[in-house]
Amino acid sequence: MTSVLRPTLARCLWTTPLFAALAVFVTFVARSIFDMQPVMQENTFLTVAYIFGAIGFIVGIGGMDYWFSWIIGGELDENDHSQHGAHSWRDYFKFNTDHKVIGIQYIVFTFIMYLVGGMFAEVFRAELAKPGMQSISNGQYNELISSHGTIMIFTFMVPIFAGIGNYVIPLMIGADDMAFPRLNAVSFWLLPLAGIILLSAWLYGSYNTGWTAYPTLQDQSPFGQTLFQIGVIIAGSSSIATAVNFLVTIIAMRAPGMTLFRMPLLCWANLATSALVVAATPFVAGAMFMAMFDREMGTHFFTTDGGGTALAYQHIFWFYSHPAVYIMVLPGFGIISEVIATHARKPVFGYRAVAFSSAGIAVLGFSVWAHHMFASGMQSWLRVPIMFATLLIAVPTGIKIFSWVGTLWGGVIRMTTANLFAIGFIVAFVIGGLSGVMLAAVPFDLSITNSYFIVAHFHYVLFGGSVLTVFAGLYHWFPKVTGRMYDEKLGKWHFWLTFIALNGTFFPMHYQGLEGMPRRVADYAPQFAWSNTVITISAFVLGASTLIFVYNMIHSVRHGAKAGANPWGSLTLEWQVSSPPPIFNFPTTPRVVGGPYRYGEEGVKHAVFPDEQPVETETTVGA
Amino acid sequence: MKTLSVLPLVILGTIVGAVIGVALVMLETLPEQASAQAAGIDNLYSAFLFVSGIIFGIVVLVMLVALFRFRARPNDTRDGSNLHGVTWLEVVWTAIPFVLVLAVAFFSWNLLNDNDVSAAAAKDCQSIHITGYQCGGKYTYLNDGIGIKDSPELVVPVNVPIAFDITTMDVMHSFWVPAWRLQMGATPAQTNYTSATPSKIGEFDIVCAFLCGVGHTQMNSAVEGALVSKVRVVSQADFDKWVAETKAAAA
Repeated sequence: MTSVLRPTLARCLWTTPLFAALAVFVTFVARSIFDMQPVMQENTFLTVAYIFGAIGFIVGIGGMDYWFSWIIGGELDENDHSQHGAHSWRDYFKFNTDHKVIGIQYIVFTFIMYLVGGMFAEVFRAELAKPGMQSISNGQYNELISSHGTIMIFTFMVPIFAGIGNYVIPLMIGADDMAFPRLNAVSFWLLPLAGIILLSAWLYGSYNTGWTAYPTLQDQSPFGQTLFQIGVIIAGSSSIATAVNFLVTIIAMRAPGMTLFRMPLLCWANLATSALVVAATPFVAGAMFMAMFDREMGTHFFTTDGGGTALAYQHIFWFYSHPAVYIMVLPGFGIISEVIATHARKPVFGYRAVAFSSAGIAVLGFSVWAHHMFASGMQSWLRVPIMFATLLIAVPTGIKIFSWVGTLWGGVIRMTTANLFAIGFIVAFVIGGLSGVMLAAVPFDLSITNSYFIVAHFHYVLFGGSVLTVFAGLYHWFPKVTGRMYDEKLGKWHFWLTFIALNGTFFPMHYQGLEGMPRRVADYAPQFAWSNTVITISAFVLGASTLIFVYNMIHSVRHGAKAGANPWGSLTLEWQVSSPPPIFNFPTTPRVVGGPYRYGEEGVKHAVFPDEQPVETETTVGA
Repeated sequence: MKTLSVLPLVILGTIVGAVIGVALVMLETLPEQASAQAAGIDNLYSAFLFVSGIIFGIVVLVMLVALFRFRARPNDTRDGSNLHGVTWLEVVWTAIPFVLVLAVAFFSWNLLNDNDVSAAAAKDCQSIHITGYQCGGKYTYLNDGIGIKDSPELVVPVNVPIAFDITTMDVMHSFWVPAWRLQMGATPAQTNYTSATPSKIGEFDIVCAFLCGVGHTQMNSAVEGALVSKVRVVSQADFDKWVAETKAAAA
């Protein structure tokens, strides 16, 4: 009974409609008073209902409780940890301030969205299996590709790294939790909200303008397009809040002795990523607000018939969405450094260069947005400087690739599933990186842009790159999170099927693009029939391989062999506590005495706990 | 120096990669070259494939050998060497890509300028205005004495530099002729410019490359139910004849 009053999902069941209804009522009154005809404007009411319903949901789940009672001068117990930590599975469906619970909430939710986004892809791949139109119409096709891209980027690729980081980073730096645990929980709960809103667009006629949603096409789109904008704004807010949290946590909450250059490289990667998110994400939120105002309030930011500038949207959108590419891959780079160093039993080759290259990518990442717009008719002088900046990004990226190969060389390499995914990532990412260098060259880009060559390129960097790093990370930390080992045999099946199918799916797309097949089309010239059949079959295998992963994870959580605290013999801090870690992470605060990857040195440690004597004080810097 | 033991592998990787690169170039998967600009772009692409093959060959070969040579045996609890880095090697693998990308950038910059024949086209007054709409294209000939307006068909004379002005009546489109290696968007409320010199007589596909609504798929002369027609490149004499006929039909 009281569960509808306490912060639970049950309370959301009445706060959400209440806030939505109040907003609709106020809008109705305002429209009546100002005599805006027609007063009963359905889309306007739906828009305010969604926005304020979303706020109602956050209030219902308990995101505002502490702050509300602070505002009204209520009694606050700063040592009240009743919302911290999971004692049963029910706690994962509540507002929880424990970074480990939030990490799991993130990972499970975003992975479900990955399966949803993948299903969209399988449906339109089925349509593309042979020439001509079979099962779906052009319009449905456009809706499916738009949902695929949007769901994958905003509710899987960006937030799953926030999830992995949430679980691992506080442990890695020796902190009890993130800097702002309540904000952290709010950040998470914004995400299912964004996911539901983006999917509910299908109820009204979904958005059908791609994940980029350029004006003026998006002005013609049904009401689902407005939900796209609301969903992206909410997912972006979640992203910004998490990034602020990571920045403060990594800068201010490191354990004694954890200097910047003793941090594991995942922390460096997340630091660079968070700086990017904080600086760039407001731009996409701005673009979405302006586009939504154009649609629902009759403003003319981008609608050309009222004097707006359609091209401006592209600039603002890509000013976020290119850095977003690095937001979606830099944390993956960090994961690869952890996985390779641990499983090859060797320090990361050139630690400082790898750390600085993350920072370099983050800085350069802001000067390349317009390479998405070479064919858009932007100022032509802008092309050449953008081309130089884009090509220069290959240098820090190359440093990372070479450093990982250098780390493997001379190690004792254990071919665990986690390591296999890391190695597969390097191969696929080199291909994606090289096609990226090609596309940076303006004359080549202008001969091929918006074709399947682009689709091939960004799937090699986002799937071959980011998704493989996610799998590497999930396998690597699975024993830490669950206390049990996954099944290596199934893991290897998963890897080989995924790796072969990903190349079968995305490699032929290069040739389709070169030969003249544009992207985002539901039908194609007969000459592409054979290659499309191969791609569709590979895409089905790719989908099936994911099910092996899902089964392996679910089965191993209960039936896997006990993992113990440190099955990989890693030196970093998250492995020095029990698996899963205690609710407050560290029984005593660790003291960091050296670099994180000091493999191959007798008897040295990265960190000691106060009841232990330091084995050796460091003479050289961690790198 | 221990690290130098990698050198033979790097050389082998270079050779293997170069072979891969050349093989990919030999595949000749590009459409026919039907403009004066196509060859330069294809050469750039071939050079890319060659260098990419080498980089791919080195990285993957060194990594595969490392995976085999340094694999852990069962129950192997050893650690690897405690090597933290080799500064000169890191400098080398930063410097070489840096020089390479700068070379690519300058080469591409040069090619971009060479491919712009709009100045030559303006001198001969060969310009065509393309209007994109949902879902099709209209072509207006701006030259003095031609005066064809809103033709549904694009016909151009061979070996004459042509400047295109591109606009759209509604949403973003993109004018793409793969055989000319030419693409330029049609952005709402502005005029975009591009140019090309068709060098081959024949019919070539016109493709709308930018998602423009439900008709986007068929805004491609290569697919079934195409809403746009192919571009026809004809001799100057045939072009003059087409102009005369079209004007007669309109009059």
